[in-house]
Amino acid sequence: MAKYIGKRLLRSLLTLFLIMSIVFILLRQMPIEGYFQNFEKMSALQIKVGLQQLGLTDPLPVQLANFWKGVLTGDLGVSHKYRVGVDVLEIIAGKMPLSICIGMAALCISLLVGLPLGILMARSTRTRWKLGDKLGTVFVVVIQGVPAAIYYLLIQFYFSRLPGASMFFYMDQPTTWILPILSLSLGNTAYYAMWLRRYMVDESNKDYVTLARAKGVPTAAISRKHVFRNALVPLVQFIPTSVILTLMGSLYVESLYSIPGMGGLLVTAIQGQDNTLVQALVLIYAAISILGLLVGDLLMALMDPRITLGKKEGGR
Amino acid sequence: MPTSTDNIILSFQDLDIRFTLRGQVLNAIRGVSLDVFRGESLAIVGESGSGKSVFTKSAMGLLDANGTIAGGHIWYDGKDLTTFRTEKDWLAIRGKEIAMVMQDPMTSLNPLKTVGDQILEAVLLHQDLKGEAAKAASIQALAAVGIDDPERRYKQYPHEFSGGMRQRVVIAIAVACRPKILICDEPTTALDVTIQAQILDLIKNLQKKLDLTTIYITHDLGVVANVADRIAVMYAGDIIEVGRCEEVFYDPKHPYTWALLSSLPQLGVKGQDLYSIQGTPPNLFYEVHGDAFAPRNPQALNIDFVERPPFFEVSPTHKARTWLLDPRAPKVEPPEHIRQLREKGGAIHD
Amino acid sequence: MALFRFKDSKTQDLSESLARETKRQFSQEELFQFAAYDPNAGERGGYSDYSYWRSTLRAFRKNRVAMFFLCVILATLLFTFLEPLLPYDREPNTIYYSEQVQMNLFTRQPILDEAGNPVVKVALAKDMRPGSEFWFGTNAIGQDLWSQIWSGTRNSLFIGFAVACVDALLGILMGVLWGYVRKLDFFFTELYNVFDNVPQTLVAIIISYILRPGMGTMIFAMCLTSWLATARFVRNQVVIIRDRDYNLASRCLGTPTRRIITKNLLPYLVSIITMRMALAIPAAINNEVFLTYISLGVPLETPTLGNLVEAGRKVMSEPLLRYQLFIPVIVLALITISFYIIGNAFADAADPKNHVN
Repeated sequence: MAKYIGKRLLRSLLTLFLIMSIVFILLRQMPIEGYFQNFEKMSALQIKVGLQQLGLTDPLPVQLANFWKGVLTGDLGVSHKYRVGVDVLEIIAGKMPLSICIGMAALCISLLVGLPLGILMARSTRTRWKLGDKLGTVFVVVIQGVPAAIYYLLIQFYFSRLPGASMFFYMDQPTTWILPILSLSLGNTAYYAMWLRRYMVDESNKDYVTLARAKGVPTAAISRKHVFRNALVPLVQFIPTSVILTLMGSLYVESLYSIPGMGGLLVTAIQGQDNTLVQALVLIYAAISILGLLVGDLLMALMDPRITLGKKEGGR
Repeated sequence: MPTSTDNIILSFQDLDIRFTLRGQVLNAIRGVSLDVFRGESLAIVGESGSGKSVFTKSAMGLLDANGTIAGGHIWYDGKDLTTFRTEKDWLAIRGKEIAMVMQDPMTSLNPLKTVGDQILEAVLLHQDLKGEAAKAASIQALAAVGIDDPERRYKQYPHEFSGGMRQRVVIAIAVACRPKILICDEPTTALDVTIQAQILDLIKNLQKKLDLTTIYITHDLGVVANVADRIAVMYAGDIIEVGRCEEVFYDPKHPYTWALLSSLPQLGVKGQDLYSIQGTPPNLFYEVHGDAFAPRNPQALNIDFVERPPFFEVSPTHKARTWLLDPRAPKVEPPEHIRQLREKGGAIHD
Repeated sequence: MALFRFKDSKTQDLSESLARETKRQFSQEELFQFAAYDPNAGERGGYSDYSYWRSTLRAFRKNRVAMFFLCVILATLLFTFLEPLLPYDREPNTIYYSEQVQMNLFTRQPILDEAGNPVVKVALAKDMRPGSEFWFGTNAIGQDLWSQIWSGTRNSLFIGFAVACVDALLGILMGVLWGYVRKLDFFFTELYNVFDNVPQTLVAIIISYILRPGMGTMIFAMCLTSWLATARFVRNQVVIIRDRDYNLASRCLGTPTRRIITKNLLPYLVSIITMRMALAIPAAINNEVFLTYISLGVPLETPTLGNLVEAGRKVMSEPLLRYQLFIPVIVLALITISFYIIGNAFADAADPKNHVN
């Protein structure tokens, strides 16, 4: 197990290295106007000096080597637009806890709402009118069919009028936290509900369920002890996806509600062409998604005794 | 051989089962009557799709959601099981009175629960035991089906067992329910030939020890010859011949039974093609007129296409649904090799 | 709709012949004579022949909701093409002017001239509410929203279809290579392992950020990694075709590869590709909205639903101008939901497990 995790981590580092190198090289291809506030008024010399200060005049391989040297020593460079001269890691470190906090809260809500909803829908498929299933499906379809960008906007628009809620986020007013977290959790809630329902319906047609029925286990106990547990295993696979969903959702939600977090920061950095900051943020986002995948695989192995990690290389 | 009526433990009367499929109605079971006697071992034989599984599942309320009992009665212990509507009714029957062993041991155990847990579940439900005593009973059940080192095996997951061992576990679960009737739905089909005999022996021993009534569902006449006291031959959702084992094997009356027996590879003559029944079973989406086997039967009578034959009694224990037994019918002899079966005798007991 | 009747002619014939057979009257003696034996009669009793595509279509048609949305999407598609031909012709990018009554900014009363008539001046026709002149009103700079919406729908659908097509074409091509050319297996597997780990939206953001914004960039950014998933799927299918037991058995019986491909691979592949395409379109539209929001979208002179939503978002605090947000939002939601539902319904219909009832 430990050996497997070690191997996977090593592999993830390689992946990260490749991706960041590609991103780094691509970012160097951007027009140089973007690096300066008042490009038109600058002389050729000023531009050259400016570029030199940013370390952009070196040959590309040297720049790349410097970048990785910096990463290894924990130096990702300084911001030159967003907060000039401040270490990007310092900027991010100040914002990351809030983003993680909101993201985690959203994930918890998704699980707390999505799983029971999925169970309810699966149960309802056995009733005459399947009302619960139909209502749940409408919810899932609306959330998955309508672009997140749209329903985030509509939620902000309509629900911010409720008492306590607001169009914007204030650290010291807990009620203003509700809307962004709720918005962020909706996508995953629908996702979990949909897949849990599907897996539970699939599982309940399996032979071992028939055997359990034949030995006289009541339906409620079958669905609790046998079906749910088995349906949950493949669902664990979706944890990485839901982490990615939350990350990407946070980009939009954070900037929509002016939350001083990491997601809003990436949007700001992109709009201001603050390349060092973009670089650092992409690195962190990629690392989180890769870690999410690893955690998903490990959880799966923990839940299913049939899966032994390490036997199959990168078994996903 | 028990035959008197008060020895009947389970009785099907004119049972009709229908399925709604692709918007059409399929008549899976067409007016079938059958008595099961206490302590006997009955084999229901037929090709796949003949309705044998559906027939027995109806006695446990385990029909798929699109299947309904459209008519007839199933009597068990003075109660008509066809009137059962709620789950609570069925819980008094399932496991407690009738238990089941299914075909594929690879899929009939929950992969995420230890074998012990799955037996324990049955013990807790049906034996008046709790805690350590229940656990001891579960381990005991594992030992009783011939699994070595039951304490260690108790904590293992199904994937750590071989196919034959898993089937033993499934049997242990069924027996741990302390049922009166054990339905074995193709219990050896998915197993290696070498394991098959072991499993059949195990069921036979348990039947004797626990005073069970067993119903085997199978398409394998070899299995039947090994275990059955009585045989019911099923074709296209109807039982066409029923009798004691030797009666059906050595004196079969229905042309379908002849054809079925002729398909036994043991009867093949070296150098000749093995016998196979021409054609396919009828499409049960349409109403079957007369004898369902008639279109495949080279010796069918005109009446076979018009009217469904009644049961003709051959002996008090042997009856068959074929017009050939009608006094008006021409005399038709079973094929030569069927008559030789009696002399060959042992061939089927391989 | 006779084309889709379930009972095909063959089974129809069979049931009729059976009925005729049984209606024949026999005399008492005849009843117990041997019937003429027809060796083929037994074969005819078999189950009606199963056609994958017919069953798929049938299962899809039975899904009323999906059929409804299919009509919606077809109507929308048709209309986006017909709309420029309608007599109501206004250029989406033309800025309109109209005669407007001058208002006093403080009293909010019309300014009157000496004769007591309101002063009328030609001004930018901006923020005009939906009416008979501008059916969907005008936007903040006086462009006609009706033509903008339809031209935007056209452009957004184009982006969606382009992404879906590239995804399918590149995915199938690379997937077949991946599966058949063993030397490439390692390369593709590693490529997949690397890129599958990165969120697609992030890739799209980075690419749109680095390249000059435009339709091409946007399509490129969205296609860059999405085909990998399709390719991997196709590759797995190819490997299955190569190694799965039933195909091996089929080949042993002398089935030509062409037939295995058309009968075993294609139905599955086509259904999955269709579903992926149906779901890729709303995803692309969704990404477009998002990229536009972080100002990486298509330039404003190309109306897209993303641009329109973004323009509407900017004025949403003004109750009178909210139509500028809601009209594009409704059109967009209708399109994405339709595709989503159709895609899922088709996936269900294409699954042979659902052909049973």
